[in-house]
Amino acid sequence: MDPLSESGMRTPHNGAVVQRRSKTRSYRQSYRSCLGTASRLGVTPALTARRLNASRRAAKPQNLADKVNPEHLALLVKAEWQLSYVTPLYQFRHTQLRSYSRQLAAFIVAEKQQGLAVEVSELHNSYRVSLSVVQGLTESEDDAETVLIQIHSKPMFARQDEPQRSVWSGWLTCVHGSPEYLRSLPKDFTCLPLFGSRGPEYLSRVVKSWFQKTFDCCFGSLEINHTSLQWFAALWTDCHSQSHIQHLRMLWTIPAAPPLQITYTVDPQDAWDLWNSVRKEATAAVTEDAASIDLEEVTGFLQALKSHFYRHFRLDLSAGTLQQVSTALGSAKSSGRIKMSNSRHVIATLTLLTECALLRMPI
Amino acid sequence: MAETLCLSDSDRSSSSDQSVPSRSNNRSLRIAEKERKKNEAEDSFVLALRYFSEVEAGTPVTGNDELDRNLAVVEKVAFSKGLSPEAISVLLEFAMSLRMGSSPCVRVLKCLIPASVVPQQAVVRAVVWLNVSKIPISTQVLFIKWVLTVFDLIDAKDQLRAIYGFIFSFITEENLCPYICHLLYLLTRKENVHLYRVRKLLELQSKLGRQPFLMHLLSLYKVFCPELVTLSIPSRIRSGFKNYISPWKSALVAVQKSNGQQVSSSISAAFTIKEKSISRKRKHCHLDLPALSSVLNKEPQSEQTSRRKMVPLVHLSSFAQMLKDMHRIELPAQMGSLLGSSLALQYLDCVQEESALLRLNFWLGCALHEEFLFCRQTSEEALQFLNNLLSAQHFLQEGFSSSDAFLYKFLNVWDGSLLRPQILGLLSNIPVIPSTQIGRLLFEPLTQLFFTSSMFFKCGLMECLNNMLLKWLTWHSVYALEDDLDISLNSHTSINITLSGFKDSVMELVHFVGRLASLGLQLEGCNTLLLSFILDFYETVCDTFLKFGLPLVVMPPPGVFYPALLATDPVSVDRLAYIMHRYKLNLTSAKSQEKQTEPQQAFHISRHTFRQFNHYLVFMVNCLWNCRMFHANTDMHVREELLHKSNVPQYWTRFDFIHHPAFTGYAVDFHQKCWPGKKDVDVNSIKQSKPWSWYLEYLFNQGFDGLKDFVHSSISRQVTAGDKLQDSQQR
Repeated sequence: MDPLSESGMRTPHNGAVVQRRSKTRSYRQSYRSCLGTASRLGVTPALTARRLNASRRAAKPQNLADKVNPEHLALLVKAEWQLSYVTPLYQFRHTQLRSYSRQLAAFIVAEKQQGLAVEVSELHNSYRVSLSVVQGLTESEDDAETVLIQIHSKPMFARQDEPQRSVWSGWLTCVHGSPEYLRSLPKDFTCLPLFGSRGPEYLSRVVKSWFQKTFDCCFGSLEINHTSLQWFAALWTDCHSQSHIQHLRMLWTIPAAPPLQITYTVDPQDAWDLWNSVRKEATAAVTEDAASIDLEEVTGFLQALKSHFYRHFRLDLSAGTLQQVSTALGSAKSSGRIKMSNSRHVIATLTLLTECALLRMPI
Repeated sequence: MAETLCLSDSDRSSSSDQSVPSRSNNRSLRIAEKERKKNEAEDSFVLALRYFSEVEAGTPVTGNDELDRNLAVVEKVAFSKGLSPEAISVLLEFAMSLRMGSSPCVRVLKCLIPASVVPQQAVVRAVVWLNVSKIPISTQVLFIKWVLTVFDLIDAKDQLRAIYGFIFSFITEENLCPYICHLLYLLTRKENVHLYRVRKLLELQSKLGRQPFLMHLLSLYKVFCPELVTLSIPSRIRSGFKNYISPWKSALVAVQKSNGQQVSSSISAAFTIKEKSISRKRKHCHLDLPALSSVLNKEPQSEQTSRRKMVPLVHLSSFAQMLKDMHRIELPAQMGSLLGSSLALQYLDCVQEESALLRLNFWLGCALHEEFLFCRQTSEEALQFLNNLLSAQHFLQEGFSSSDAFLYKFLNVWDGSLLRPQILGLLSNIPVIPSTQIGRLLFEPLTQLFFTSSMFFKCGLMECLNNMLLKWLTWHSVYALEDDLDISLNSHTSINITLSGFKDSVMELVHFVGRLASLGLQLEGCNTLLLSFILDFYETVCDTFLKFGLPLVVMPPPGVFYPALLATDPVSVDRLAYIMHRYKLNLTSAKSQEKQTEPQQAFHISRHTFRQFNHYLVFMVNCLWNCRMFHANTDMHVREELLHKSNVPQYWTRFDFIHHPAFTGYAVDFHQKCWPGKKDVDVNSIKQSKPWSWYLEYLFNQGFDGLKDFVHSSISRQVTAGDKLQDSQQR
């Protein structure tokens, strides 16, 4: 009945922080450990919201052909990929890829057979899956090596001797991932946040579902937002001096009735000149790291393009949304489709996309 | 057991007949009578069956009472207990042979509810009858439908498969075709697939169009013999065989249930249901809890784990078993599956592995973000998912960090009505937020929501914030006790919340609610319901020191205090009195403790709090007790002339216990009870010493315990000797 003396005992001394017993150190968010655990688990982004980098290095053209297997490189470029983000993979081992290939193949067959009343022997050997490491497609030591997934199969009514064709391919990658985030993960986790796939939707679904079941990860679609598309426009234009971009084409939709779609194509030289005029002061100001590009310059560049359009057509593109950006170096669509046409700029593109994917991580 | 039900009943009834006399000595006559009646009923059923098996062809139907009677008997048995295999054989034979024309045929078919199995022989014979007798097409359809319904109950299928070709020949009949296709689908084996049948089907397809039933059968043929069917079949055909309304299904389920059998749903139902669940899964893939399954990919285990054998969580079925194997439980492949099972939740409560919790949080966060943040929805699944999550959090008495992270984002886009109870429930589980962040993460979005939403949202939010505060305070009291005081005032690391940090957060929250409450009461015209939720909150706040051991006392703002004191309902005033009483206890004990402890260690409750409390207390006592409402030193400054102008007589007494709008009713009632004869009610007469104490007693007896505590603790009555005597007598 006399809680006073008790609470008197509870008043704090000026002592040092006593370590909490490990029991309460689980996910328990007692007020002592709440932020302690949180920041280690990467929850802090909720508290201090993660943002897209406001400045990034200009895309240095890299001759990836020296580092990366040209066969793999050829697969990556020239094709359009549907993007997703993936939460970190639990207990994924780059050394076990051969066994994963077998498991995935068996899983695909099992999924195919679901709903069939009878076992069909032909299905068994109809899929060949290969998971392989794409060496050299990393930029920092925290990045995990890229994994390439290929599924080969014979067409439904192929003749016996017909060779298997590649029906689906995908990759998981991490290029220049935020080191703080990557280091905050326990070592059981492999962070390959960016997933690209190409092929029939049902195979994508099956592959995702196998990854979810095996590595306890989650997939979500990765849209490329307005800001990222602007970055692409700027980054690609910036490359014009090294590799000809042919054109800078942007697709805008204007919320008018009826909906208006505008394709805005800029001559490469004009775009380059405009970009340089926006860049000029910046390069003058920064002496050391001249190659870095600021978000301000990007928005300035796009603003200039918009005002040019306005002068001609009396239509303010700011009211609309940027849906798609394409140059000879590649194309990016807001729906999350990316095409990298030039192997020399793959790293820059993947860096930006990795950043977008990491932004989508739930914690 | 069920097989011997009908025809063989005759034997059984005779045997029981024999047993009746021997036992009738100790059995009452009534039971014997009942038994006899039952036997009679069974007899009549046997007779009816005999009638159907022996009736001659061409017997007239109209005016045939015997037929009517027997049909009625059969129907009664069929719908109550189901028919034995023998009975089905007899009746099916009778119906399909059209011995008495087609009208009794339909009636008999409609009551063919098997109690256990259907003899294959009967079905084969009936199929043969299809060709021989002139059965109307509608009846033929009815028969095939019946076969499809009871297909799983047919005891063997070999003979049916043997007449595959015969059944196939009916496919040309346009009305029968869909049902025949379904039947063939169920019967087809690889050896049944022939080129001429494929051709026939394709020919039909060209005639009827791409009908789903033809496509299904063709796709099955293609599975068996892909070389014969070159037609491309869409990977997903829209729906399975049409799940037509079968007249027998419900009766069959009822009969089987009463017979204590497992309900074996017909193939057609299973087929379509499965199709549906697949398509639904695709839409909301994130909301399905993954199945609890063990790890697929066994690592080449480290020596430490390989030494002991691991037990997958799936294999545990009881709490006792879990306790036994606690040290060697293997986590499931997908941590999200833990949310679905209460046993797993129990284990989760003591899991220490950081990566396991991280996996769970990744999954949960991803599901919440994908389903609620990136695309809004209010489906049944979403509701179910959140309720699951809430009950898991409730079970663990804690929120998951990923759901907190989600909420901080979601609050900014929430409209305040989407899944409101669930979201507010999750919100109340949010752990303590440092005071530097709390404004941006919580208060800004909540303020917007509060002032743009309905009264009910305001009440809901008040309740939610009260729960949140309660949980924070409980955490504090539990961990402060458990860890034997390891809370440091001066933290070495920035990430730990110290006691003072915690106090700051709580203070921020209480002040925030105070602001919301003051303005909310103004906006809603001091709504009683809202006031009640606000007083709930202050009932928690006033006890932070005594109940939770947190050296912090925060007084309610005037915007809450005065509306509660001047409320028109007595309950609010009573609760305010209780709250003031608790404040007093908390403050006095805090003060006495402050004196005991050394100055530099002592916590400090600011003088402002004491002053504010005293201020409120004086006003309250003046108002309710001393009839000095508009005393000079109060917040409520009303100019003298204005009060005079209002023409309220004795305005200073208007809010005492007698005249307070919340209590006048009681005063009048008391007056009537005290002076029953008096015609004109003068409540002022209660003011006299003796009636006054009676009146108080009367009020306290009405259940106003808060007022009672308040009066006893805060008002020292200057009582006369007589009163004292009376008081002591009463106790």
